[in-house]
Amino acid sequence: MSDSLNLSQERIAQELPDRYRPVIDYELCKGCKRCVRECSYSALEFRDGKVRPLRGCVACGRCTAICPTGAIEIRLLPYHFPPHSTFTERIRRSIISQANTGGVLLSSCGTDLEYPMIFDELLLDAAQVTNPSIDPLREPIETITFLGRRGGKLTSSEKKGLLEDEDIGPVIMMDMPIMIGHISLGAVSYPAQKALFKAACDLNIIAGSGEGGLHSDFYAYADHINSEVASGRFGVTPDYLKRVAAVEIKIGQGAKPGHGGHLPGEKVTDLISQTRMIPTGTDALSPYPHHDIYSIEDLQQLICALKEATDYRIPVGVKIAAVHNVAAIASGIVRAGADFITIDGFRGGTGSAPRVIRDHAGLPIEVAVAVVDKRLAEEGLRNKITLCAGGSIRSSADMIKILALGADVAMVCTAALVAMGCRVCQQCHRGLCAWGIATQKPELTARLDPEIASARITRLFTAWNEELKEVLGAMGIDAVESLIGNRDRLRYIGPNPKIAEIMGVKHVGEGWG
Amino acid sequence: MDEERSFPKSSFFLSNGAFSSNESGEMSLRSGSMRRREGYQLGGCGIAGCLSLDGEPISGEKIATMLTTMSERENGLGAGYACYGLFPERRDEFCLQFFFDDEDVKNSVEEFLKDHGNITKDEKVFTKKSTTLKPPFPLVWRFFFRPVERREWRGNQKLSEEDYVVRLVMHVNQHVDGAFCISSGKDMAVFKGNGYSFEISDFYDIQRYRGKMWISHSRFPTNSPGWWGGAHPISILDWAVCHNGEITSYGVNRKFVEMEGYSCTLLTDTEVVAYLWDILVRKHGLPINLAAFAMAPWYYHDIKHLDPQNQKLATLIRVTYKEAFLNGPFSILVGRREPEITMIALADRKKLRPLIVGQSSDEGMFFAASEECAIRAIEPNAETWTPNAGSPAIAQVRNGIIRDGLESPFWGEWNE
Repeated sequence: MSDSLNLSQERIAQELPDRYRPVIDYELCKGCKRCVRECSYSALEFRDGKVRPLRGCVACGRCTAICPTGAIEIRLLPYHFPPHSTFTERIRRSIISQANTGGVLLSSCGTDLEYPMIFDELLLDAAQVTNPSIDPLREPIETITFLGRRGGKLTSSEKKGLLEDEDIGPVIMMDMPIMIGHISLGAVSYPAQKALFKAACDLNIIAGSGEGGLHSDFYAYADHINSEVASGRFGVTPDYLKRVAAVEIKIGQGAKPGHGGHLPGEKVTDLISQTRMIPTGTDALSPYPHHDIYSIEDLQQLICALKEATDYRIPVGVKIAAVHNVAAIASGIVRAGADFITIDGFRGGTGSAPRVIRDHAGLPIEVAVAVVDKRLAEEGLRNKITLCAGGSIRSSADMIKILALGADVAMVCTAALVAMGCRVCQQCHRGLCAWGIATQKPELTARLDPEIASARITRLFTAWNEELKEVLGAMGIDAVESLIGNRDRLRYIGPNPKIAEIMGVKHVGEGWG
Repeated sequence: MDEERSFPKSSFFLSNGAFSSNESGEMSLRSGSMRRREGYQLGGCGIAGCLSLDGEPISGEKIATMLTTMSERENGLGAGYACYGLFPERRDEFCLQFFFDDEDVKNSVEEFLKDHGNITKDEKVFTKKSTTLKPPFPLVWRFFFRPVERREWRGNQKLSEEDYVVRLVMHVNQHVDGAFCISSGKDMAVFKGNGYSFEISDFYDIQRYRGKMWISHSRFPTNSPGWWGGAHPISILDWAVCHNGEITSYGVNRKFVEMEGYSCTLLTDTEVVAYLWDILVRKHGLPINLAAFAMAPWYYHDIKHLDPQNQKLATLIRVTYKEAFLNGPFSILVGRREPEITMIALADRKKLRPLIVGQSSDEGMFFAASEECAIRAIEPNAETWTPNAGSPAIAQVRNGIIRDGLESPFWGEWNE
């Protein structure tokens, strides 16, 4: 008796209540069953002549988007547990879940905890009388941005009578200060990655390949691809490296600082297997550290090796997560010879991350960029390197603020996915993405038209770039390089002036002098 | 604009209030008193310069006439004059001119200089009692100075004599309370203060000086305080800069000059302009027109139309010196003594501030000013023209007008 009772209790305890439920308006529902077919989480069924909700809705919004009559509404279910401000519902769900499984909780798409968004506590400047504003519809405003290393000094050569910069590395010219971050084939589907790459080409910007190598179909876009060399070395061959526009060593990632990568075996289809050069169905594991990098000297050697492998024709960068000592680390990376550094803030997204890391490790990109920019300037290194920054850049305003805080280029990932259809339901790690983005299931990936998705990304970033021009014009600045690290153009309005002090941003109300 | 230091560092900081007036509060402007009573003023800053193409010295009276003619462009919160070719008998010595709060500060700076070189002569800069400038006035003093060559700065630190003097100036401006170095070049000096242009010319008795080149400025500050040290010209070594405008890229430019070891202490965005010229031309060895291109570059869509070599050079300059790009509206007059006394007149690439240049009918003088009236005031028959946006007009004593500001940016640059 006790055994059966215990089993029953165990089963009861496993059941975590749903947070969302689709509600059908039967006045409107025609019973076409499209929603049932589209729900990859099996949260709907057609029974007894009616669409009926089942358990497991994640609020991905696919059913509401697909319903021809608008008959479906997704409701956030009321609080399931007795109210308690310490043991919140989120905390109790975690406890129950871990008591069920004994494992590490996984999640996706960046932390959803309510940390203050420093971006929202910064206000931009605008021109007035003595510095007139500029109308971007009537006057040119430049947003061209270069990615790569600079020497910081031109020297004249008596022989040629020319000026040259012996230290300048290969640089990439982009039409706007945006790069699409690393989203690997595997984490996202073939059509999703194709859409990202195509958009990068159409916009003349750079898109990250992610750490999954580069599918041969995408060689056509290679001159707009920043390929990633992660600890797993998936798909990395000299041939592939020589095709791309830039190569980036991934040391860390904002969503999971101190962590490597993991693509579950069930996502490793034939396509992924070919691209990553690993057997089908095996887990693709990128170890936490690079096993040939245990020091800055080792990193320097890999940078040199990659430059050698690519004949010094493309910039070699290093991506790190924003961690507490990020400024000193960045300084070391510049000195190790990187042509660009990408700093990824702690709100950055991912396809799968241990929740405890995602939610609690690292620091906001706003602060990280400001301190790195300041430190590199103090050490006389800032004009040698391109600084890219990402991790929760959600809008053109965020992009403009991160540039003013010191980044040359804003790295954007999640916003590009949202443009394609993603609704940030945070279920990427399950591989069931109903929008055909974060999945490898053929029936789901077929849902995403890369042409349409690409056009949506192109329109989004074009709009952001136009908004950037509007803001630059309003500031009386006609080229984006005059905004980079120009913290005079920001004021802090949040509750913690210490943050402003660390970022080198004056408080609202403070003038020039 | 300086964040590191709590000001006022000096007692003459902001000493002159909002407007120049005598003790009774009566305005004694040569012009403008009517406007003052009506409560509004016209203008922006005024800049004026003249250079003797034939090497004949020019009286300070002429530049004062040029500048004060444009009285609409000032509001009494700063004016100044820089004269080149001023000390021919001491042309190889640095003339360090200072504002001091008092004798004690002067003595401490003197001791500091003695520790780092030889003072061959020092003297109080002549000033007249002013009835309209409001006290306290700084003590204006000049030292003729030769730095002592030491192994560590020529050897280990690889500093030139000029770099060494820059360090001394930065040290005083940053760390010595009550002292500001206002000019530090050879065979030149700056005379400036917080007042109207005519008041400053009276205060220093500008007409007592004769030089081969003058540049001058009257100020209408809007986003930085009007104070003695912040008046233009802003000078470092033999560079002097008069600026009408606002540098919206200040934060970026400041970072760049600080990386090169300069510290911004004068609470004005113009300061970075002077340091940029010193860095790009003296330290990095760029020709003047290329340094001007770095500060006011062509748009990329225009660069595309250059021939391939110039396209490459233009792009290289833009990429390498993007932190030296002066954004925002400006017109500047820049003076330099090396290798020959030179005036550079440059407006921003959108030409948001006025700039006109001219030449006397006998071709002996070159002029530059915010307004034509300034040139006509001393040379009614001058030929005048407006340089292109972002294109420097360059004139040199004895070498004539090297660029009239109407050329393509890299004219004469390639030696093929």
